Amino acid sequence: MFIETAGPAAGIAPAGPAGRTATRRSKRRILSPYLYILPAVVLLLVWTYWPLGQTVNLSFNDWNLIPTRPKQYVDVQKYAKVLSLPELHQALINTGLYILAFLGISVALPLVFALLSRKVQGKARTAYQALIFVPFLITPVASSAIWRWLFAPEGGTIPAIAAALGAPMGNVFRDPDSSMTAVIVIVGWQMLGFGVLVVSAGLAGISPDYAAAASIDGASGRQITWRIIIPLLSPSLVFLALMTILLSAQWTYPIIDLVTQGGPGNSSTNIYYLLYQFGFRNFDAGLSSAAGTLFFLGFGLIALVFVELSERLSFYDN
Amino acid sequence: MAFITIAPPAQPGSADTSTVPERSKASGPTTAPAAGLRRTRFASLRLGSLRTVFLRTLPSHVLLIALAIVSIFPIYWMFVTAFRPPSDALSINPLPGPLSLENFQYVLKTIPIAGMLANTFGMALALAASQLLVAILASYGFARWDFVGKKALYLLFVGSWLVPFQVTMIPNYLLVSQMGLLNTITGVVIPQLCSAFAVMMLRQHLEAFPKDLLDASQMDGRSSWRTLWEVVVPNLRPALAALGIMLFISAWNEYLWPSLIMQKSDALIQVGIRGFLGAEGNNWGAIMAASSLACLPIFLIYIFLQRYVVDAFVRSGLK
Repeated sequence: MFIETAGPAAGIAPAGPAGRTATRRSKRRILSPYLYILPAVVLLLVWTYWPLGQTVNLSFNDWNLIPTRPKQYVDVQKYAKVLSLPELHQALINTGLYILAFLGISVALPLVFALLSRKVQGKARTAYQALIFVPFLITPVASSAIWRWLFAPEGGTIPAIAAALGAPMGNVFRDPDSSMTAVIVIVGWQMLGFGVLVVSAGLAGISPDYAAAASIDGASGRQITWRIIIPLLSPSLVFLALMTILLSAQWTYPIIDLVTQGGPGNSSTNIYYLLYQFGFRNFDAGLSSAAGTLFFLGFGLIALVFVELSERLSFYDN
Repeated sequence: MAFITIAPPAQPGSADTSTVPERSKASGPTTAPAAGLRRTRFASLRLGSLRTVFLRTLPSHVLLIALAIVSIFPIYWMFVTAFRPPSDALSINPLPGPLSLENFQYVLKTIPIAGMLANTFGMALALAASQLLVAILASYGFARWDFVGKKALYLLFVGSWLVPFQVTMIPNYLLVSQMGLLNTITGVVIPQLCSAFAVMMLRQHLEAFPKDLLDASQMDGRSSWRTLWEVVVPNLRPALAALGIMLFISAWNEYLWPSLIMQKSDALIQVGIRGFLGAEGNNWGAIMAASSLACLPIFLIYIFLQRYVVDAFVRSGLK
């Protein structure tokens, strides 16, 4: 059946008049970009944008994730509820603190390290960079295990050193005052090297002619750093900062889940871990979706403001 | 005193060493002549300047050594603990030894870790391959043609950065469960077949691809499809390799989605050894042995392809 209909269609192309082949070809040319991007766009729509719409939809319903139980439309009740929950306030504060900590660890500290170590070049530099980058590659189950061992009250290296220095420490993961710091240490250990490498690569891309010219004009080392190097680095720095703000809640998620489960008493949780708890621990799809929708809008707004600001602040070397 | 007299010749020498690697970094393959030039110039001022260069960079070295120790010690300690006999697990001797494989034998006996590693390897390979393929096609479509709706469609990819996986995880989970793929590796792979990030990275490479080559290929009578596979892909091999390795490592280290989909399955290492780590409590030797096995493939990739790995990740941060 197939072959019979296909036969004549295939026959037309070579036999048809030149004009027809040309239109066919130009039609193909118009279509081809769409065909190339089709798989990616379809996958993105099915697995990112359609679910995003579903999340918004679920946020107006009461549903416990059991397929046989019908969803019940509750208007904005879930939003009202989630906004009044103390867990949400705690998670928002924590997320803000995490972001501040990682702005320090993966943007500011790398800038200092990269500036101070830029004189080291060649093979030594490659060797250092190779070592500094390793923690970034460690899988979350392993990094959480390593640090639980380093922090272990019995036999752990860090408590042993602390005790030797006269400041004994308990179980950092079980203490609400230190659980968040512990998560920051673990994730910071992984992100620091990445930040240093990104900033160093940015530094390496700045032509030394600028600094040379400025020093001939009598600029001091400090002036060169602040007036020339850092402004020229600003695109890298702005990008790192934006990544940190948008992604630090995702960086910390696996470690929170593996090491503290957000505890004790929500002291180390963050907004994304809260979404997981609402959805997959309390089986409240509406609550999780309402919070998720709010976070999505909030981060979207932050990103837009940031992009706008960076357009104005960034200094490009053209 | 001696310092000052030697300092002037060191000046051009040090300037030279600082510019050359940068230039070679910017233009990749032209390293060889630049390095040769540097070597000959460097040799002439080697004797005196080497010492001053060393003295001037000493504080930087100290700083970098400290940073390297902070980075490496936890990993070193993981291996040291893993290779100790279980009775010595609590030893605080910073040097390794006595060597023992007992912890590894225990892990292999207790959990099917070899199977988990093989499954995870297959999963990461499948994901990296599919993300690379989808990204090659899409970035080629974006880079080669101007078409109606190009900006809007590209915005879909950029915008997906703003949709965190945690926000869409419930609908994604329901979809996977409707497909009957809960607790399967397919269920882990399917939602991530397209990486918007890979599309954006590759598009930058393709925008920089010489248009003359594309035109020449078209004049030779190649279709756009054959041009892609016979002209573009062979020329982009280093970039594709770097991106592929990076996608593989990210897939291997992915935690959130496997932990949701594989709740009742131990097939993947991320989830499989989680239970083991919890159950073993304070048996640190065994826990470290299992952890070091979980990062082993990534370490092997890193040891042999270090340059690619660092370049790919760093460039992703550089934009």
